[in-house]
Amino acid sequence: MRKRLPEFQSIVQVYAVIAVMLAGWTITAFLWKLSAWLLLLTLGEVFTIFAYAMAANFLESIIIMLLLLTACIVLPASVLRDQFVARGSILSIGLVGSLMVFVGSLMQFGIERGLLLLIAPLFVLILMAFLLQRVSKLHRIRSIAVSFSDRVVVFLYLLVPLFAVASIYVILRNVS
Amino acid sequence: MPTMNRREFLKASAALMAGATFAGASKFLSSSGFQGTNKPSILMFVFDAMSARHLSLYGYERETTPNLKRFAERASVYHNHYSGGNFTTTGTASMLTGLNPWTHRALNYRGMVDRHLTDRNLFRLMGNEYTRLAFTQNLWADILLNQFESDIDIHLPCDSYSHFIHSSIQPDDLPSDRRMAYYAFQDFINLRVDDPNAFPGSLLMASSDLARALVPNRNHISDDYPRGLPTNYDYSYENASVLDGVGGLVKHSLVQSEPYLAYFHLWSPHDPYNARKDFIGMFEQDLPLQAKARHPFSGGNHSETTLRQFRLEYDEFIADLDAEFGRVITDLERSGVLQNSYVIVTSDHGEIFERGELGHATALMYAPVTHIPLLISAPGQVSRSGFHAATSNVDLLPTILNIAGKEIPQWVEGRLLPGFGGAEDPTRSIFPMMGKDNAAFQPIKHATFVLIKNGYELIFYTGYPGHDDQFELYHLDEDPQELQNLFSKDITAASHMKDELLEAIHAANRNFEKK
Repeated sequence: MRKRLPEFQSIVQVYAVIAVMLAGWTITAFLWKLSAWLLLLTLGEVFTIFAYAMAANFLESIIIMLLLLTACIVLPASVLRDQFVARGSILSIGLVGSLMVFVGSLMQFGIERGLLLLIAPLFVLILMAFLLQRVSKLHRIRSIAVSFSDRVVVFLYLLVPLFAVASIYVILRNVS
Repeated sequence: MPTMNRREFLKASAALMAGATFAGASKFLSSSGFQGTNKPSILMFVFDAMSARHLSLYGYERETTPNLKRFAERASVYHNHYSGGNFTTTGTASMLTGLNPWTHRALNYRGMVDRHLTDRNLFRLMGNEYTRLAFTQNLWADILLNQFESDIDIHLPCDSYSHFIHSSIQPDDLPSDRRMAYYAFQDFINLRVDDPNAFPGSLLMASSDLARALVPNRNHISDDYPRGLPTNYDYSYENASVLDGVGGLVKHSLVQSEPYLAYFHLWSPHDPYNARKDFIGMFEQDLPLQAKARHPFSGGNHSETTLRQFRLEYDEFIADLDAEFGRVITDLERSGVLQNSYVIVTSDHGEIFERGELGHATALMYAPVTHIPLLISAPGQVSRSGFHAATSNVDLLPTILNIAGKEIPQWVEGRLLPGFGGAEDPTRSIFPMMGKDNAAFQPIKHATFVLIKNGYELIFYTGYPGHDDQFELYHLDEDPQELQNLFSKDITAASHMKDELLEAIHAANRNFEKK
C-alpha cells in the first residue's frame, strides 16, 4: 500500500497548494466581513469566528488531500502517482479553483441563473483534465506547477500551527 | 430497514436530549414541590414582523385576523403598543430585557445584548421555579436566546417543525457553543444563496450549499404553496406544522411541568409572504390608500403598484397565520390546558409598504413598522378590555414578572401594563429607535429616534450622510397616516418633545463617550 503512495515530501507540497488556496479564500472573505463584525462583536468573538473558519479549512484540506491519495492508490501509477507534485498540484488547483469559480459565479450573477452557474466551473475542470493529460509532454506546465508548489510550501509554517491552534480552541469550546 | 440521514439523526438525538432535559426539569420540579403551585403559566406567541396596522383586529379594512379578533373577546387589547425597534434584534432584545435599545445595545443586524447585561433577561428573572422554554424560528432572535441560554431550561432548535434545511451545518449542531456557532456558520462559513452580498468563508461547504440549492424539484416547492413554502431563508416550513408542533408541546409536555414560561417566536408573517393557496386571492378589492411620496431616507424606491402588490401578499400571509393560530388556540382552550395560563400575543416589529419603502429595518420609523399588536388573555377572562394609551414592548418584562409574583428590579425601563398593575398614562414617553449602522460599543450618532407621547410622534433622523439632522412631528390620533408634519406648526409640542428626546439621547450616550 505504501508503495502506491507518493513520497512524503511530495504529499506535503501538494497539501500546501490545497491549504493555501482554501485559506486564501477564507482569509479574504474574513477581511471583507471584518469591518461589519467590529461594529457588533468583541475582538475575542471575532477571533472565535476565525478559529472556526480555520478549523473548517483544516478539515477541508485534509479531505481533499485524502481524496488525492485515495486516487493514487486506486488509479494506475502513471495517472497520478508518477510526477505527483505536478499532477497533484494541477488537480488541486483545478478542483479548488472550480469551487472558487462556482461560488464566485453565484456571488456575481445570483441564484436566479440556476444551472448556468455550473458552466464556468465545468470549463475549469475541463481545462484541468486537459492539462493533466498533457502534463508529461508540456514541460513548461509541469515546471510551473512544481515551482508553484515549491513556493507555497513555506506558508505551511504559518498555516499548520494556525490550523492546530484553531482546531484545539474549537474543540475546547465544544467539549466544555 | 429504514435509513436515517445525518440531519435526521442529529434531530432525533436533539429530541432525545430535549426529552431528557425536560424529564430532568419535571423531576426537579416534582421533587422541589413546585409542581401544583398556584403560580400561573405564561405562553408568549411572538409573530415576527406583524404590524398592528394590518390587522382587522385593530380596524384594518381587510379582514386579515378574524381569529385574533375572536381571541381578543376574552383578552386585554392594547391599541397603541410600540416596539423598541424596527427589526428583530432590537425589538426582541427590548422585549426580553425590559430595556430601551440604547441601553441593551443590541442595535445591529444580528447584534447581541451588551455582554455585561446578559443577566438582565426575562428567563433569569422568572427563576427556576418556572419551567422556561424558548423556541424561535428567527436566527437573529436565537442569538439573543443563546445569550440567555443558562437561564433557559429547554431551548428548542430553530429548525424544529421545519421541512427543508438550506445550509449543511446549523448553530444547533454545536449545542455547547450555539452563540458563536451562529456567527461562525450562518454568518460566515455557510452560504446563504439568497443573500445578494454573499461571500462565504468556506469553499467546500458553500459549494455543497449551492449544489443543494440548484437541485431541481426541491421539496420546499408544494402545490399548496404556489409562491413556495414559507421560509426564513434557512429553513422552509408550514404555519400549520409549526403551530401544531408548538400546540402539541404545550398540550402534551409543558402542561406536565406547570408553572411554565413558554416563549414561541415564529417567523410568520415575515417575508417572503408565501401564503397557502387557500388564502391567495382572498382580498379582491383594492384598498383606498393615499399615495405617499418617496421619503429621502427610504432605502428603496418601489413603485406604488409594487407596494400594493406586496401589501396584498403580506395581508394574505397574515390571514393564513391567523387561521392556523385560531385553530391551535381553540384546541388548547378546549383541552383545558390553558386553565391556569396567561396567553400573550405580540410581535417584535411591524412592516411598512409606503413612501417607496418595503419591509422593515429601514431608516423610516413610521407607525406601520413600530406599531405592533399586544393581546393578553388571563386565565378565566371572558370579556374584552381595551387600552388606548401608548405602551411599549419594554413593558412586557415587568408585567410578566408581576403576573408571576416576582420582584421587578430597579433597572427595568418598562412599566407595568394597564390592566396588570399599571395605569394608562398618555404623558408617558416611549422611545423606539433604529441604529443598525452604529458600533454597539460607541455613542449612537447615526440613527432614527422616535419619541411617542401625548398622542404625538416625534421622529429624529441624525447622522445620515449627505443630510442634515431632521425632525418630523405627527399627531397620531388625528393623523394616523402620518401625512401632516407639524414640526414647524405645533411649536410648543415640537419644542418640548425635541428637548426631551435630545436629552434622553445625550444621557444614553454619556456612558459611551470617550473619557
